[in-house]
Amino acid sequence: MLWIALHLPLLSLESFAATLPHEAGEPPLALMDAHSILAVNAPARALGVQPGFKRATALALAPQLTLGLADPARDAQALTAVAHAALAFTPTVVIQPPSHANAEDAPHTVLLEVQASLRYFGGLPALQRRLKEALTPLGHRLHIVSASTPLGAALLARVQPRLDCADLAATARALARAPVWLLGPGRAHWEALQGMGLHTIDDLSRVPRDGLARRFGPVVLDELDRAMGRRPDPREPLVLPPTFDSRLELFARADTTEQLMHGAAVLLARLVAWLSAQHAFARRFTLVMEHEKRSRFDAPGSGITSLEVALAEPSRDSAHLLVLLRERLAQLQLPAPTLDLALRAEDIARRAPPNTELFPTPATEHEGLTRLIERLQARLGREQVQRLAPVQDHRPERATAWRTADAQMRPGRARNPAGGANDALSAARLVRPVWLFQQPELLTEREAAGERGPWCDGQPLLLLSGPERIESGWWDFDAIERDYYIAQLPGGALVWIFRERVPNAGATLNWFLQGRFG
Amino acid sequence: MPAMAVVAERQRPPPIRPESLHPTLWLGHQLARHADAAVATGFEALDAQLPGAGWPRRALTELLLPHPGVGEIRLLAPSLAATQRAGRLVMLFDPPASLSAGALAQLGFAVEELLVINSHNRARTRVTPGTDSLWALEQALKSGHVGAVLAWLPPRLRAERLRRLQLAAHAHDGPAFVLCDMSAAQRPTAAPLRLALRANGADALAVRVLKRRGPLLEAPLQITLPPVLSEVAQQRARAGVMPADAKANASTKPGSLHAATFVNLAAG
Repeated sequence: MLWIALHLPLLSLESFAATLPHEAGEPPLALMDAHSILAVNAPARALGVQPGFKRATALALAPQLTLGLADPARDAQALTAVAHAALAFTPTVVIQPPSHANAEDAPHTVLLEVQASLRYFGGLPALQRRLKEALTPLGHRLHIVSASTPLGAALLARVQPRLDCADLAATARALARAPVWLLGPGRAHWEALQGMGLHTIDDLSRVPRDGLARRFGPVVLDELDRAMGRRPDPREPLVLPPTFDSRLELFARADTTEQLMHGAAVLLARLVAWLSAQHAFARRFTLVMEHEKRSRFDAPGSGITSLEVALAEPSRDSAHLLVLLRERLAQLQLPAPTLDLALRAEDIARRAPPNTELFPTPATEHEGLTRLIERLQARLGREQVQRLAPVQDHRPERATAWRTADAQMRPGRARNPAGGANDALSAARLVRPVWLFQQPELLTEREAAGERGPWCDGQPLLLLSGPERIESGWWDFDAIERDYYIAQLPGGALVWIFRERVPNAGATLNWFLQGRFG
Repeated sequence: MPAMAVVAERQRPPPIRPESLHPTLWLGHQLARHADAAVATGFEALDAQLPGAGWPRRALTELLLPHPGVGEIRLLAPSLAATQRAGRLVMLFDPPASLSAGALAQLGFAVEELLVINSHNRARTRVTPGTDSLWALEQALKSGHVGAVLAWLPPRLRAERLRRLQLAAHAHDGPAFVLCDMSAAQRPTAAPLRLALRANGADALAVRVLKRRGPLLEAPLQITLPPVLSEVAQQRARAGVMPADAKANASTKPGSLHAATFVNLAAG
């Protein structure tokens, strides 16, 4: 058995910082519970703020300090994301539960049993490197310790940023040097243990066990034995939830897309961790934004906007997902500032991960095209990205239909050997102009060289070919009866014009411009 | 001493021709060559006058038209259809009018595989017209996955926008055509190739080369396009007369309808 413990010493601060609007530099931050400061970051420490201070003391020292309330639920969500990312490396991932003695002291540690994964990932150093890379997007400071027992690894990770214990003996040696307060109950009895001259775990294990059990209860010895591997320590591995749902309460109300994107990026990194745990790709995800109430009479559910992003090609590339989300958010007008963000995903696709290639291949080109079309659709709207479809209709306005393009559009795919509609059109050899106006343009009729004829662009037209009579469409009440001609402008450009065959209200037969030969 | 000079004269190597040193070097009276093979236009007369003997890749080609419908699609169709046959995507940006699928199919296009970006029929108007389509065009050029693009630019486009597109086109492995109004001819362009198109009789096009990497071309090129008209109609166009039957038909007054004409009473 080889356990890796990931301890996040600054988890509470980091999960608090994620809810803040993005700022340049690192502002001084501090977390507090009801009465006193619990944790401070490095800039705040430089200003002289220490954990344990009262709120007023801290603000007197550093007026620009941002104070946040500690929130175990927020920390737990961030820790769950770390556990999800770890699930991509081994099925046995455990979130270290708080010690029995003091439940409020959360260990902020994730344990991985990696003995079976070593060979696949190419040894412990390679595995740890991959693990670090996978955890980088979540943005936490990490302590990584490997040891033979889960509790031993978890305890050592709290004091050592980096340690590898190859076997049980090395684990025991490392633990022997560790301070006694590491053991959960040890902290409660710390003063008593100090008074007895017991500083390290080694000191503790030298004194008679029955006396220890009588004075401090059986829990100290139980933890010591489990850490040393003298007592079984069964763990229940974490089970991945079937749907993803993570929320982030923003510290300040977000008015701009940029502020929203900062929070959404944190949630997307968690989504990517959840996806990579099951080697899956997201087909769609939903960002739910809860807005500030405009008045207190608003119904509770009224200030919620949900933005669903659907992908043509399932993906778990956070950069691509972020671009799509940014374009969609830029289009959206939000009714009020946002207070709370949530990201949900349940529609996923499981498939083999894409190959990484040095040189472009048709597959990468296809994927690139799909992403390009997705990006265009996200920014311009689906209805702006179109393709043409021929329709079997003699009416020129109806012979071409516009369809919304599919992002999976792949050139060369639709060409079937039988030909289909394309061939039917070419076979008819109908002469049609490329530019075809949906609304025919009325042409004026004037005298030119003693003859009345249609004029276009202030120039007389010369009829060259025709008439081609089109009478069609009585069945859907849009009947046309026209004689079409190909005509030439004096410069030589060809146009397609027609004359109505049914007189209009003024009892005249008007000329219309229908198209131009491009 | 004179003898030495003669020997030196004899041993002097032949003058170095700069165009033999590097593909991007050329003299002013020569046509430039490209490192990338150009895309054949399908018209021999035009190929002979273009650097690299075809439409350039990785660069914009600017075409100036007095109005849409002078034969520009027929001029570009051979190269674009060849791009489609090679299994690559052809994208159109903001075409000025609706397109006819039948006519495009006759020109050799695979109609259903053309991707058209129509940003002007968008309900929400932006501050600057065409901003969306320029953004989309730049994305398409930058991606490098599109085979060819054909874009109708908004009038009075600022020079730096075109320059930006030209820079984006470096990543684009294929021809990129931008079509502008003829009035843009007065302004300088970032595109290395600029042509002005004008109809020159039925089914013919006069192409003036306004800018190219090579010597100035004075006379416009005469290009014969794939014909729209039948033989008879072409003769009529040359003669400049109206066909007798068309004349008769065109001068038909509403009062003298043919006996077989169906009069739609409901419409009247």
